[in-house]
Amino acid sequence: MISADRVSRRFGDRLAVDDVSFEVQAGEVFGLLGPNGAGKTTTLRMLGGLILPTSGSVRIAGQPFTRGNGGSLRARIGFLTETPGLWDQLSVEENLRVYAQLFSVSNPGRAIERILRMLELWDRRADRVVLLSKGMKQKLALARALVHEPRIILLDEPTANLDPQTARTVRDLMRDLRADGCAIVVSTHNLDEAERMADRVALVSRRLIAVGEPALLRREVFGRRLRVGLLASVRPLADFVGVATRAGAHDVRLDGTELSMVLDAPETGPPAIVRALVEAGAEVRAVFDDEPALEDVYLKLLSRGGLT
Amino acid sequence: MNYNRIRALIGKELREFRANPSVIIPVLIVVIISTILPIVIVVVIPKTTGQSLATDRGMQQALERAAAWMPALANLPPQAAAEAFFFQQFLFVFLIAPVVGAVSLAAYSVVGEKQGRTLEPLLTTPVSTAELLVSKALASFMPALVLEAAGLAAYLALVAAIGSPGVLDVLLTRRTLLLVGVLGPFAALAALQATIAISSRVNDPRSAQQISVFLVMPLIAMFVGQISGAFVVTTGVLALMTAAIGVAWILLVLLSVALFDRETILTRWK
Repeated sequence: MISADRVSRRFGDRLAVDDVSFEVQAGEVFGLLGPNGAGKTTTLRMLGGLILPTSGSVRIAGQPFTRGNGGSLRARIGFLTETPGLWDQLSVEENLRVYAQLFSVSNPGRAIERILRMLELWDRRADRVVLLSKGMKQKLALARALVHEPRIILLDEPTANLDPQTARTVRDLMRDLRADGCAIVVSTHNLDEAERMADRVALVSRRLIAVGEPALLRREVFGRRLRVGLLASVRPLADFVGVATRAGAHDVRLDGTELSMVLDAPETGPPAIVRALVEAGAEVRAVFDDEPALEDVYLKLLSRGGLT
Repeated sequence: MNYNRIRALIGKELREFRANPSVIIPVLIVVIISTILPIVIVVVIPKTTGQSLATDRGMQQALERAAAWMPALANLPPQAAAEAFFFQQFLFVFLIAPVVGAVSLAAYSVVGEKQGRTLEPLLTTPVSTAELLVSKALASFMPALVLEAAGLAAYLALVAAIGSPGVLDVLLTRRTLLLVGVLGPFAALAALQATIAISSRVNDPRSAQQISVFLVMPLIAMFVGQISGAFVVTTGVLALMTAAIGVAWILLVLLSVALFDRETILTRWK
């Protein structure tokens, strides 16, 4: 639905985005993760047709952005910019009405009511924007990006500065949009947020470091990690480190009464490990996957690329 | 050009001006001064000092020169002729009002977007650069024109009420119509287009206004030159000036579209 093909962007001598490629399908939420200055906003601006790549191309439903077709392709995109950028002296409804008209929405009144009710702003429609809280402004900016019911949605830090309740409203809305078949690209440096929202994430730091589902990226970087909780035993618990190692694990550590390890065979390993431990006299009280935080994956990938 | 988009943006601009009336204060001041000042000079001062304009030697010489291009003066008594001469000269000040108004509003409308960081979301829409700039130009032009028209109507009403009999008739000529009905609006359009071009290169409305204020200099020079008798701006000269300013406006539209670089605005405006 939207794709970047070997996209680079240079500003003078500075290379902001270097050879980035990915594709986002309908019904998918794609997270762009990276530190400040990693080129996330520049990438989003290129996806949205606000700026053109220095090389490579961005395609919307197969059509590349050019200097001549920017307007017609932008009409198919909803773009939440990094700052809300609302007209403070106009009312909530007036702000949306201008955008509905700019996007040639056939029934602006109905579209505005629909999106304002969806984001729980309908009761504030007559208020001037200057009177709204920061969270409400962010929701209104999101409403503005969605008022024309775009099928491609680009969101630059959509939950930044939002309270948990509002952030949840935004995430719920994104789930609904994904279920409706929209292709959504979300830029964030909040890894927890990315994990909650995105089907796939791309780690960027000027260039693409890795792309994939968060769980797969974890496994790719750290392998499948397992934690086994043990009860006190007649044998010293440290003995079970060797047992687990021989049964098909490496990097085995004992932390209190818990063993943590990386499985040699991610899919078949856990039963064999548990069986070996029990046969060696261990009393197993719990077995669970040990998922490192996405942050750890991210930092490890950055350090692999020499970027931290 | 999509006229629905232009209409939507003009409506937005006008609502913003209404919500922020301070931006029209400069033009209001110019209109009020333009309306009151000639009345004070031509009617109030002579009445309070008891010295008639018509008896002044310099005035008599000016009237003799003016009769060549304002033959109607010859049919008026000396006092009325002096009043008509002055009121006619002060019509030039009404050229300045729409220019000042347009400059003030246009500077606010572009730099205001920049300061409020409202331009990036606008650029995510299908709106083209030309549509955006034309909207801003027309939205600034319309209130300036309305204020000019209101000021002129008040001016003519005061001339009719306070001036000597026959003075108003001398003012209601094709030359006046050309001056305030065509040259004035064209000058305003050219000025605001230049302001928009300047605004896209500076970071606050005051800088844009300060640079744009030079645009009224030629008009002031024309006013001073004519009232001092240095030269006469005849109807033919006015028509030529109107055409020249019209061409300048078109060139300025093209220039402002060229200068309004969307990428630079997005990446360098802070």
